[in-house]
Amino acid sequence: MTATLEKGVRVLKEVIDAPIASYFNSCVHCGLCAEACLFYTETGDPKYTPIHKLEPLRRVYEQEYTLLGRLAKLVGLAKPVTDAELHEWQELVYNSCTLCGRCSVVCPVGNDIVYMVRKLREGMSASGNAPDGIKGAANRTITIGSPMGVKLPAVKAQMKHVEEDYGIPIPLDAEGAEYMVMLSSMEIINFPEYLAAIAKIMRQAGKTWTLCSTAFEATNAGMQIGNSDLARVIVSRIVDGAERLKVKCVISPECGHAYTALRWEGANLIGRPFTFQVKHIIEVLGEFQDQGLLKTEGMETDRLTFHDPCQLARRGGVIQQQRRLMNQIAENFVEMPDAGFMNWCCGGGGGASAIEEGEELRLEAFKKKKAQLDAVKPDRLVTACANCRIVLEEGLEHYQMDIPVVGLTETIAEHIPDAVESEGA
Amino acid sequence: MTIGNDKEFKAALHVLPPARQRQVAARFVDSVLALCNDVRVAGAVSAARRPDITDVELGALYMAAKAASVESYTQCGRETDWANQAGHFVCKAAVNCVKPADSHENLAWDAAMEARMARTCASIAGGEGTETREAEQQYRILDAFLSE
Repeated sequence: MTATLEKGVRVLKEVIDAPIASYFNSCVHCGLCAEACLFYTETGDPKYTPIHKLEPLRRVYEQEYTLLGRLAKLVGLAKPVTDAELHEWQELVYNSCTLCGRCSVVCPVGNDIVYMVRKLREGMSASGNAPDGIKGAANRTITIGSPMGVKLPAVKAQMKHVEEDYGIPIPLDAEGAEYMVMLSSMEIINFPEYLAAIAKIMRQAGKTWTLCSTAFEATNAGMQIGNSDLARVIVSRIVDGAERLKVKCVISPECGHAYTALRWEGANLIGRPFTFQVKHIIEVLGEFQDQGLLKTEGMETDRLTFHDPCQLARRGGVIQQQRRLMNQIAENFVEMPDAGFMNWCCGGGGGASAIEEGEELRLEAFKKKKAQLDAVKPDRLVTACANCRIVLEEGLEHYQMDIPVVGLTETIAEHIPDAVESEGA
Repeated sequence: MTIGNDKEFKAALHVLPPARQRQVAARFVDSVLALCNDVRVAGAVSAARRPDITDVELGALYMAAKAASVESYTQCGRETDWANQAGHFVCKAAVNCVKPADSHENLAWDAAMEARMARTCASIAGGEGTETREAEQQYRILDAFLSE
């Protein structure tokens, strides 16, 4: 056994906890999770059945923590997990799993399969069997602080671009601000209009806000690769920044996994409660709407639909806010089949879009999204995740579907009139 | 008239008919075209200058420029190459030059904004600071265009 495999197997043993044990014992092999996974439904290949993706973890559990399994191992009848097998499983644990959570919510016995996949990713990562694309992102997070290598000067350049082109100041390190706004690398690199939209919305709402020079990056590559230590470091950076600036609320950007990592797992990762709240930008916009602080003008008249990011809707329970926001600015908002809690993933979440060799499979899986869109034939597609946005654009381009994809925050901001914009609250 | 700020710039662009917006948008993109080496983009920008361009031509050029734009995105988790990213924003700017007329209100303004982003990315790539003069350059381009 190589040193890395030994480490990987040791980690797998360590991550098997009471929920994992009960999940493996509860599985009734019904196959419902297969029908919930777009990689299975669109390829028909049984290897993409979610529970099957956990086979190495199941065997370690059986051989280490069950009587029969331990006896079998003792007499040499158990099949040990090998490096080659873990390497083979890379495609199943990373490329064909976006941690979307659809399998978890259909499981009749309540097995949280995503939880199990993430535990398996811990062992995969420790044994060196994570895909190179995600490894690179994790390494850049450690060395540079951003999975895409974004440094503070680049953020400042984008801040300046927004300030000059939109005429709105972007606060940095403003102590005592109510909100600390996080960005994903994707927004810094590909969608600077998000930052402009935030500035416009905050100005209208009369709220104080700031970016943080030591914690601008929200993306959590540790969560994606399956490395809790790295995930903890990333969350700690944000917590340190928020506490230094004494903000009341940290706003997670239009990025699914950033939200899950910080909102739902952050406090457990660092081992103490936060001194501030964490909200997704869509939750904040929903609150502004409820408080009458979001005054928009005009309505979109073309046919719009909304793609729910998995981490926001299914894993985070944020479902109604985006619909109320859409209805405030769109006359012709239509829902795709399965929209909301059971929406189908774009196919690129959970780090999958960083895996170059997974592209062909992603495009195959995109047929599910294509079918959803074909059912309602929208003129434009709105979403609230920068990663979804690019994956959607690629899929649409591949299938020659001319449907522009836009972010909800910027779409809302476009409806804020200049006159109201400067009123404040 | 002399354009001196973005408010005037945007207002002046907004009153132009789509065909004129395409022509001036093409000039904005020309200013940053060297940051992109995709022939589909150069073709779209060159064609957008022509007053006699047909809807059929526009449709084909739009698809080609959009494909270039989507292909040049930096994917989530991939390492950022700011020079390539500058090229991506040139593609996005070019898309606005050939976008169907009924789908957008201010094609030229959007093209100008994307061109400025391209310049910003190029400045990050070059490590030369964040001072760019693209906005002023665009004011001059528009002034010249309007006075022709």
